[in-house]
Amino acid sequence: MKHDFILIVEDDTAIRNLICMALEIEKYEYHAAYNGSQALIEATSQNPDIILLDLGLPDIDGIEIIKKVRGWSKVPIIVISARSEDKDKIDALDAGADDYITKPFSTTELLARIRSTYRRIKYLKSTLQQEVSEFTNGKLKIDYLLQTAFVENQCIHLTPIEYKILCLLAQNIGRVLTHAYMTKEIWGSALESDVASLRVHVATLRKKIDAENRSNPYITTHVGIGYCMQKLDE
Amino acid sequence: MPGSDISIFELFGILKKGYERDIMEEFRPNPNELLSQIKEKEEEKKRKRGMLKIFFGYSAGVGKTYDMLKSAHEIKDEGKDVVCGYIEPHTRPATMELVNGLEMIPVKEKEYHGITLKEMDLDAVLKRKPQLVLVDEYAHTNLEGSRHQKRYQDVEEILNAGIDVYTTVNVQHLESLCDIVASITGIVVKERIPDSSFDHADEVKLVDIEPKELLQRLKDGKVYRKLQVKKALDNFFTEEKLTALREIALRRTADRVNITSEKAKRRNKSEYFTEEKILIGLSSSPSNPKIIRAGARMAMAFEGEFIALFVETSSYDNINEKDKKRLKDNMRLAEKLGAKIETVKGDDIAFVIAEYAKISGISKIVVGRSNTRRGFFSKASFTERLIVIAPNLEIYVIPDSNLEKINQKVWNDKHQMKDKIWVTWKDLIFIAILLAVSTIISFLFYDMKFSEVNIITTYILFVMISGILTEGILSSLILAVLSVACFNYFFTAPRFSFLTYNTGYPVTFVITFFAAFFSSSLAQKLKKQSKEIAKVAYRSKVMFDTNQLLQAEKDIDRIGQIVAKQFVKILNRDIIFYGAKDGKLKEPDISFYGSDEKKSVYEKESEKAVANWVFLNNNRAGATTDTLGSAACYYLAIRSLEEVYGVIGIGIDAQEGLEAYENNLIFAVLTETAAYMEKETFRMREQKTAEQVNSEKLRANLLRSISHDLRTPLTSICGNADMMLQTQLDEETKKKICGEIYDDGMWLINLVENLLSVTRIEDKTMNIRLQIELLEDIITEAMSHISRRRENYHIVIEMEDEMQMVLCDSRLIIQVFINLIENALKYTPPGTDIKIKTKKQKEWVVVEVSDNGVGISDESKPYIFDMFYTANEKIVDSKRSLGMGLALCKSIIHAHGGKIRVKDNMPKGAVFEFTLQSQEVKIRET
Repeated sequence: MKHDFILIVEDDTAIRNLICMALEIEKYEYHAAYNGSQALIEATSQNPDIILLDLGLPDIDGIEIIKKVRGWSKVPIIVISARSEDKDKIDALDAGADDYITKPFSTTELLARIRSTYRRIKYLKSTLQQEVSEFTNGKLKIDYLLQTAFVENQCIHLTPIEYKILCLLAQNIGRVLTHAYMTKEIWGSALESDVASLRVHVATLRKKIDAENRSNPYITTHVGIGYCMQKLDE
Repeated sequence: MPGSDISIFELFGILKKGYERDIMEEFRPNPNELLSQIKEKEEEKKRKRGMLKIFFGYSAGVGKTYDMLKSAHEIKDEGKDVVCGYIEPHTRPATMELVNGLEMIPVKEKEYHGITLKEMDLDAVLKRKPQLVLVDEYAHTNLEGSRHQKRYQDVEEILNAGIDVYTTVNVQHLESLCDIVASITGIVVKERIPDSSFDHADEVKLVDIEPKELLQRLKDGKVYRKLQVKKALDNFFTEEKLTALREIALRRTADRVNITSEKAKRRNKSEYFTEEKILIGLSSSPSNPKIIRAGARMAMAFEGEFIALFVETSSYDNINEKDKKRLKDNMRLAEKLGAKIETVKGDDIAFVIAEYAKISGISKIVVGRSNTRRGFFSKASFTERLIVIAPNLEIYVIPDSNLEKINQKVWNDKHQMKDKIWVTWKDLIFIAILLAVSTIISFLFYDMKFSEVNIITTYILFVMISGILTEGILSSLILAVLSVACFNYFFTAPRFSFLTYNTGYPVTFVITFFAAFFSSSLAQKLKKQSKEIAKVAYRSKVMFDTNQLLQAEKDIDRIGQIVAKQFVKILNRDIIFYGAKDGKLKEPDISFYGSDEKKSVYEKESEKAVANWVFLNNNRAGATTDTLGSAACYYLAIRSLEEVYGVIGIGIDAQEGLEAYENNLIFAVLTETAAYMEKETFRMREQKTAEQVNSEKLRANLLRSISHDLRTPLTSICGNADMMLQTQLDEETKKKICGEIYDDGMWLINLVENLLSVTRIEDKTMNIRLQIELLEDIITEAMSHISRRRENYHIVIEMEDEMQMVLCDSRLIIQVFINLIENALKYTPPGTDIKIKTKKQKEWVVVEVSDNGVGISDESKPYIFDMFYTANEKIVDSKRSLGMGLALCKSIIHAHGGKIRVKDNMPKGAVFEFTLQSQEVKIRET
């Protein structure tokens, strides 16, 4: 069943109401679940587009739910977490979540995330039909056959590692990738020194790609967590 | 609270702890409460000691064990846990029947000369830990190899473990009554207990029956088996003897009540004894114990102080081992009977004692009858001399026992000769030389035609020299004889013969002889005395040094080591020091006198076990004591009142024993050591308490500040929201109010973030996770959390190297940036330029957050990083600030190993500068 709706999993009533109201204003459809077991039932039976999952649920651990859902579906999951520790966010992302939002958050932030996720969904749907030989995101283009990247049709000189990183981010567009994940994907290990190298590489990569648009970059940095490539509006 | 010294960590830790504590509603440390707690603990300790009940009888067979067992059954029926520790296997059937029904702790069996003997298993009793244990035969002597020499010491240990004890003892076993009983029964009982063990019992029950009845029982075979009965009847069990014994027992029981109540009264009033002071003289004589006991009884009867004085003469070093041992035994006996042992040096015993008596205010002195005999050389007897020198002294003469009379005589005669007479080869050679020299000189004089007077005086002179320079009188006496012989042979008419014509020469001879004798003995005495003085001076110096050293020390272990080293100097023995920590002994620290050959012996587990026993039981043990006497060292507890701070072990042979003065010295030093240790312990406790009190104060302050700073924005939020609900407002106002609510919310979020950052502190160390981060990322992230106010300011970021990497905890450093920037926004007017600059300096990155606002005054500069300091002294609502922001920045930067400071900006404004560790990254290209 194709329903254009968002599943909200949040046990705190006030916050839940806040989210629901925000979504309503933007004319999104939504279902709400109050705890983990309810969420799983909803997820399996109703097949939502996006799941907004609070990590601090009373009955089941948020990470568990992510793992369970990822067992059968690639539905985008945005986790809601308290701001203090990074560890729970990293664990959630590594378990399969796509993005996160920290409490306290503003509704603007939340809606921006949702919009970006929908863009990604659309993009993924459209590219499923085509042969994936190239990637486009706003003014950024990656030609997989030529193994080159272009910004505004200008060829960008990238080192092999930078290219790899760019492709990794592109293939996971809209998802926040943790440092550990990226390091493992690129080098096969997650040594402390490699993580440091990663940062340098990403920094240089961003200089090359995001030189002009600082306010709306392609690659966003999530301090302490990782990086993400945003799907920009056309 | 400006200028507070506590770091922000401690503060929050305090807050957290205090919060938890409040939840659990624990008390706040209050000095009076603490004191009463300590007192309670002490009393509990005393109460925790078991109760001792003695079943006391005047003879075997009166029914003590029977009575004890009956009482035990009654107690058991009440529901208490009663076991038998040791019941003497009576052949009295009635008694043995009662043993059934009570749990018996299996006895230890020991092989002794082919016979299997049974002993109470002390450790088993302690392990079993009943409420009450029955131990028969209180005065029993344990077999060799037992922990204690006597059973009453075992009982002491059981009592200390909190177990009640019932025991039995006969009147003849009491130390002070031993002589009286002996005089009645004709038997001197060897197994004795000190009177204190009897008097300090919690309950004494006199088991009494008419002597006639006892005799009847005996005849009926209820006491001993029929075969032994006749023998017992003849020797011991006559009616008069039994009656006399019974009387003594009755009286003693009554006295006991008197003694303990009087002592208790006196202790409370903190008066000491009455005017009576009883003195006895200690010696190595075998009849001395009788005098000691008499003195003890007298002291008890007169309720006076009991002092035992030993006069150390110059011949003390020369007395043989047997005598020395006897002296030590006598000293120990006196101590057991409650005497204070004093040692005085001197040669004229009577004089010394009399003087001491006069000075110390002795009222009565007890001497033995043998002292009334006149010595070989003295004109008056010892007693008579005492009377002359101290006429106000009451002298009690105690008859010496008949059995020991013969020994006494022998002993006395032997000791008339005070100095040991001996010659060494060295002396002989020496006098030979002297003789030769004097003869040569005399020949010279003879040739020079000097008169004979000169010659004989020369000889006399040399004799006197020999007296001074040789050891022992005999050599100079020999020289005297030889000198006279030479004089006679060489210089008197007829020359070269031993005949003399002049009748005056025998006189000369005698005079020379006496000259030799007197000068020699005088010289001897002087030598000895100067040696003694030197020794005493040395000891005093060491004592003084010890004192000085101890005063300077603060560390308890160091104190112990110093004392050990000093002891080595004083006692000339190996010393082992065990420090204590957390109620347990630490590893030993050995100071050797001489070689360390005995190291392995001292480190044996058995030795440590003895030391541990001393520590736990607060009592002496080891060599030369009755407890664990086979150890290699003599162990003493360093204690003050009831607290044991450590154990000192003195390497000593069991046969040797310590001198009286050594004992006194040890005692004095240890008491002082304990006092120092106690002082240290109390000082530390006091410090801790002070810290606690301090934290309480700070916690209260922190809470006050925080609650104020939380209430203000919350008031605004609620107020605004409320207004929006109640009144109809226009869009413009609504937007403004919502903006304010938002701002207040953001402010609260930042405050909470700051507080949460502080919670990442445990026990004064910050729990930071350092990672390599891109500095630019951090600044960007920080900027995204800055409040809306920033729109009215120009904020510029200038990074020397945009790729600068730093090693830090990203969350915390973001917080630092936020705090510094928010501060700049708060304290400067809108439109101010705020600049964030970074540049690398060696292995550090210097970050500057500067503004060109009003700047910070020089008076404030030293305090602004302190807790709770705000630019205004009062907590003013508008300038909303906890004063925590900068203090937190300081703590975070310091935890990162960096530095933070403030300086003036040119031409105006303030610059906050801090450093972070720069990080070079080895970029992996492949």
